[in-house]
Amino acid sequence: MVDATFGRRAVLAALAALAFTLGAPPASAASGIPVRVRVIKGSRQGPPAVDPSLSDLQGQLSRLAYQRWEQAAEQRAEAEMNKPLRVAIPGGESLELTLVDARKETVTFQIRVGARAHSKLTISKDQRIVHQVTDEKDGAAYFATVRPWP
Amino acid sequence: MGWRALNFRDPASVPLMEADDIALVTRAKAGDAEAFRALVVRHQRKVYAVALGIVKDPDLAWDVAQEAFVRVHQHLPEFKGESAFGTWVMRIGHHLAIDVIRKERSASREAIDDVREQDIEEAAEGVLSTASGVSPQQGALRRELLEKIQGALAQIPAAHREILVLREVEGLSYEELAERLRIPKGTVMSRLFHARKKMQALLAEYAS
Amino acid sequence: MTRPFEQRRECTIVAPMLTAREGELSAEEVSLLDQHLQGCNECRAISLALAETDGLVGEALLAEAARRDFAPFVDEVMARVGAGPQEKASLWARALAWARAHRAAALMGTLAPTLAGLALIVYFSDSETPPPPLAGEVEVVAEGRAPMVLQTSEGPVVLLGGTDGT
Repeated sequence: MVDATFGRRAVLAALAALAFTLGAPPASAASGIPVRVRVIKGSRQGPPAVDPSLSDLQGQLSRLAYQRWEQAAEQRAEAEMNKPLRVAIPGGESLELTLVDARKETVTFQIRVGARAHSKLTISKDQRIVHQVTDEKDGAAYFATVRPWP
Repeated sequence: MGWRALNFRDPASVPLMEADDIALVTRAKAGDAEAFRALVVRHQRKVYAVALGIVKDPDLAWDVAQEAFVRVHQHLPEFKGESAFGTWVMRIGHHLAIDVIRKERSASREAIDDVREQDIEEAAEGVLSTASGVSPQQGALRRELLEKIQGALAQIPAAHREILVLREVEGLSYEELAERLRIPKGTVMSRLFHARKKMQALLAEYAS
Repeated sequence: MTRPFEQRRECTIVAPMLTAREGELSAEEVSLLDQHLQGCNECRAISLALAETDGLVGEALLAEAARRDFAPFVDEVMARVGAGPQEKASLWARALAWARAHRAAALMGTLAPTLAGLALIVYFSDSETPPPPLAGEVEVVAEGRAPMVLQTSEGPVVLLGGTDGT
């Protein structure tokens, strides 16, 4: 019933374009990009405060209902094309981060959070991804932030 | 359900993101190409940075860096792990870079290492009259400043470039520099002083 | 300006110590350095100047290395080694296979008003080269949930959404 057309249409539905250029073909598929991943905790309760080390995320975090943000862990690594990196998250699970495309100005990451979610996000090189990784429990939830070329 | 404290300083609870070099080297020695590739990716930029500092030309540095990994691959069976893998690669890259520029080496060696009174006077004069206007505390370096630094680096003698690069990119201590360069620690110190002094003077010139 | 002979001579002994990092000087050397710097304007000035530029060379070279595109590096190394470049399946084929595998789940992306959705002509081309993904492209698949994506200028924020459908 479902074929390649569905897949293509589904991806199209999420497409965003301001303008497009027929860019140069992708760089060689095997590449290493330094990434910085932080696991952070957002809470609705507690005194409103943002860990100073998270100040670069203010713009994104301020959009959310959590008023208190703390950093739980941080790792840096070289992400290689199509090679999953695993990051432990609270609760015993792990997040799987895979670099699936890298161009001059953009990078695309695939993020898999256990069985909960599977995302593919393309960002420009100076942006970062903030991705929820645990369900909210007792007013708090964990997120992971991914930043290429930190 | 409770959660494990994510203390990544504790090896037992280190997130699964990185196999350490030792594990990769073991697999690479056993013929695992993927493991070797991972080692290359992990160390490529730093080896390139050292080569670039020494040979100056980016394409040449690229070539030198690649050749370093080719040599590493060839000699992997002999690598015993007495030094860290990263140190081993850097050492090979460093020596290859020096081989490449050997002919550029300055003929007059004394000026490289001796610290004379006039060196102090020149340095002090230069410093007191111009502020270099650069501060490492300023955060990320601007593109323009980066280019100026590379330009200044290209102007100083090879032996000074070499020791500066090893000190600042590879982070070697006086002892390690003495061992790597096979010179006494005193010579390391004075050569480094000359190198740093020259860079400071060149950067001060740019700023004024 | 002429300084006393002894002091000038001491400068030449002390100057190389100005490049030392913590732990690299003996207690005697540290003491000599401190004492000398207290009384010598020239060496103090040099010390400050060196501190200003300390680490810049390393930073500049590492920044240049970070800036450079290292995508082909490891493949080229492997080619030189004789291992040959890796088999590369088309990124496009892989992307399609991934989308196909998750077709049953809800697919949603909430896009900020500034991003218009346009079909890329290149999307339908038969070309071997996959269309370059664009910043802002997002796909989130979350079984039994209503995920949400907030697009900000700093990048996307992905929320999992509630399991009760909220």
